[in-house]
Amino acid sequence: MEELLRQAGEKVLWTARRKGVEAEAYLLYNRELSVDVNRGKVETLKEAEEIGLGVRVFNQGRLGFVYSSDLSAQAVAQSVQDAIDISQNTPLDLYNQLPEPVNSYPTLDIYDPQICVTPLENKIELAREAERVARAFDPRIAVVERAGYEEADFNTLIMNSKGLLASAQGNYSTLFISLVAQDEEDSQTGFAVMSKKKFAELDPAALGQEAAHRALRSLGATTSATANLPCIMEPFVTARFLSLLAPSLQGDAVLKGKSMLKDRLGDKIAATAVTLVDDGVLPGGIAAFPFDGEGMPCQRTGLIQDGCLKAFLYDNYSAMKADQVSTGNGQRSSFRSLPSVGITNLVLSPGLKDPADLRIDIKTGILITEVMGMHTANPISGDFSLGASGIMIREGELAEPVRGITIAGNIFTWLKNVQAVGSDLRFYGARAAPSIRMEGISVGGQ
Amino acid sequence: MLDKHELSNVLSQALSKGGNFAEIFIEEKRISNVLCEDNKIEKVNLGREKGAGVRVIKDGQTAYVYTNDVSESGLMKAAEVAGRTLAAGKEQNREIHLTPIQSGLQFEFLRLPEDVELSEKIAQVLSANQAAREIDDEIRQVTVAVGDTHRQIQIANSDGVFVEDESARIRLMVNAIASRDGMIQTGYEVAGGLCGWEILDTVSIQDMAQQAASRAVAMLSAEPAPAGRMPVVMHAKAGGTMVHEACGHGLEADLVQKGLSVYKDKRGEQVACRELSVIDDATLKGKYGSFRFDDEGSPARRTVLIDQGILNTFMNDRLTAAQEGAELTGNGRRESYQHKPIPRMTNTFIASGNDDPQDIIASTRQGLLVKKMGGGQVNTTNGDFVFDVQEGYFIENGEIKYPVRGATLTGNGPRVLMDIERIGNDLGFAIGVCGKDGQGVTVADAQPTIRIKELTVGGTGQAADKIIKRIRRK
Repeated sequence: MEELLRQAGEKVLWTARRKGVEAEAYLLYNRELSVDVNRGKVETLKEAEEIGLGVRVFNQGRLGFVYSSDLSAQAVAQSVQDAIDISQNTPLDLYNQLPEPVNSYPTLDIYDPQICVTPLENKIELAREAERVARAFDPRIAVVERAGYEEADFNTLIMNSKGLLASAQGNYSTLFISLVAQDEEDSQTGFAVMSKKKFAELDPAALGQEAAHRALRSLGATTSATANLPCIMEPFVTARFLSLLAPSLQGDAVLKGKSMLKDRLGDKIAATAVTLVDDGVLPGGIAAFPFDGEGMPCQRTGLIQDGCLKAFLYDNYSAMKADQVSTGNGQRSSFRSLPSVGITNLVLSPGLKDPADLRIDIKTGILITEVMGMHTANPISGDFSLGASGIMIREGELAEPVRGITIAGNIFTWLKNVQAVGSDLRFYGARAAPSIRMEGISVGGQ
Repeated sequence: MLDKHELSNVLSQALSKGGNFAEIFIEEKRISNVLCEDNKIEKVNLGREKGAGVRVIKDGQTAYVYTNDVSESGLMKAAEVAGRTLAAGKEQNREIHLTPIQSGLQFEFLRLPEDVELSEKIAQVLSANQAAREIDDEIRQVTVAVGDTHRQIQIANSDGVFVEDESARIRLMVNAIASRDGMIQTGYEVAGGLCGWEILDTVSIQDMAQQAASRAVAMLSAEPAPAGRMPVVMHAKAGGTMVHEACGHGLEADLVQKGLSVYKDKRGEQVACRELSVIDDATLKGKYGSFRFDDEGSPARRTVLIDQGILNTFMNDRLTAAQEGAELTGNGRRESYQHKPIPRMTNTFIASGNDDPQDIIASTRQGLLVKKMGGGQVNTTNGDFVFDVQEGYFIENGEIKYPVRGATLTGNGPRVLMDIERIGNDLGFAIGVCGKDGQGVTVADAQPTIRIKELTVGGTGQAADKIIKRIRRK
């Protein structure tokens, strides 16, 4: 397969050279498998095979981009021509330049052969096991909406007119389950997901228990009174807040004045307990890869160290414009998109405290277990106002569940209000976070 | 695209291992996007994509295989994989006779995406950028994007359905950011439809830009939204995010059948106040959620979901309709050939009532007026929903007093439908891309001006029943 990708890439560069422009070919071959089971029976089985090309043409500082799922010689030549046509309509920008060739890339363990040799039946069994464990956990687990297994296996090849060539194959697998707990008066959902680079690390029993536990503990929830309360956020919720923060740490947002953290490098922007790292080479990290979407080496970048803002993330373009070096964060979601600044594995470093100890001295507070509507928060101003549910904390102990409340605030104030960080680091896809304890947060209820 | 004979062969292959139903969905798409940010054309994209998905259903189990290889041999391979993936059954040789299905609907596409020069799209985008920036020097950043999709599809299934269709969709978007003393507010406008670029004859992207910029600036002077429970008036201009979240998703048959909807077992029962009807209608001309055929080849329909308070029917696809022997509602949609179809909304709205919108506001003693909604989310199991308010005002003694910012509304779908006190005689649409099971599809939603007895407003301000402290953030 690598040979097929390389041939298409060479065709791109050859066509571009004949037309007198520089170009980059991004090629992806991606295979996916997903299985959903319900009551032990396979409900949906999906197998996908996808191949595609993204061409960036650099026509003396003018950029053109075209993608195609057709890698025939004719389609490739047409794509290059279309990209040149587009470049004639786009503005001149001297920072539109190809990345320079790279001498060496980090050596990473990102391919687990176990995934492709394991028989399909064993993979289905993992999803069945998660469902069985969840149903057996408690008779109130009334509905398992879906228990599933997914895997992706991808070859990426990037080459450009300056001689850059990068190629690698990676894979990972995921288990998930979503279910509903029901009693006479109420029904509540529970969800758990686990993505692993190593197939052997998938743990269906732990997954099933977690989802069941999450649903059961919320049964009988009522709303709370409007108040300002200290709170604990679970790792799942903390990780959601990291996605609201991430855009402000991107070099392109800083350059465009879309980051409130502009001009704050070196400043104390968060509580001392906060250390945040973007790590593209993290062992076991789902987003770990030797290079980014334009062939720049991935790396570990410390963003916030003990509350101090240390760095922003850059792709090749924004790095040149800011007089910085690419941090290997030129991300692409697929061959259909241009590279742009994005996170790899974003990790909020854990502390030493057991998560249960975080609440010991809270007289009245709330453990936030779920937030809704994070996509409606404003990533620029950082203002958020979210639907939430959780469990009241009374005299340091977990008490009754609450739902239908709102929590409101601002992500930059949020950073400063972190009082303590738990030791329970959890990964949710490419984001990882522990439990955190916050000073008062505005809770809207009855 | 393949001919009828080739498609029949692929379907026979897919069923050769004993499946009950097989379907081919072939899609060819041409997509282009132009984006301006930072006062310059930042991105121009052009994409061509071809792909096909083969689905085989056997005893309620679905196998779905997709590929970019849309030749007959590529599809035969996909059909073979899909067919053998499900537990092996008796070998069969079923001959499929395909009959073209016609639609009574004709939508016009006067200026197809490829008939419009890139330079014209760029000129439109740049002039909108200019228009937004001229509103006020507190406008710090403007993003303008236009995009179009030209799509051809072929659908064939083992029931003999054969559909070929072609359509275009256009989308226009403006986001403006205003800032004052370290505070940032944004204004957002989006428009689009199932149409060609003739949309510019009726929609001005420059006007959209001015509205977005004016709203961002106005919200700089807004008060923090009050927190607490209060009456909420939703202006028709706010669009129908609320009906989409509060009841639409819960009426999708897959969620109902899995026991994940609060509306399960409620057919024929009163689920809303007597004056309220909710309709899903894919046949509306030019709307963003419209189509001639859904993505399973079923003709588009107008479906009354809630009829004067009574739950009439759910939205289904072939699989869920077969499950309960229901009539197809034409709601089987998918994002692309990479996805299996599932029940989805199209254009969903609350039907207009009789009240004068002005009077609805004038008769409100105290509450929140929502003039523009943002995104939302719902937990279909218990009906709890949340969405954010882009443009809101505080109402006191029937008068619009001052703008408020940062408000989020949370409520419970079934309860809100019972709690609608007034329904206006107007109707306003909004468009969006709705996400479900990792698939995004184009939708529109609408509602008249309505008043809800009580919703929880989340904000950073003080509780509304106390005296509202007017604190401006410096």
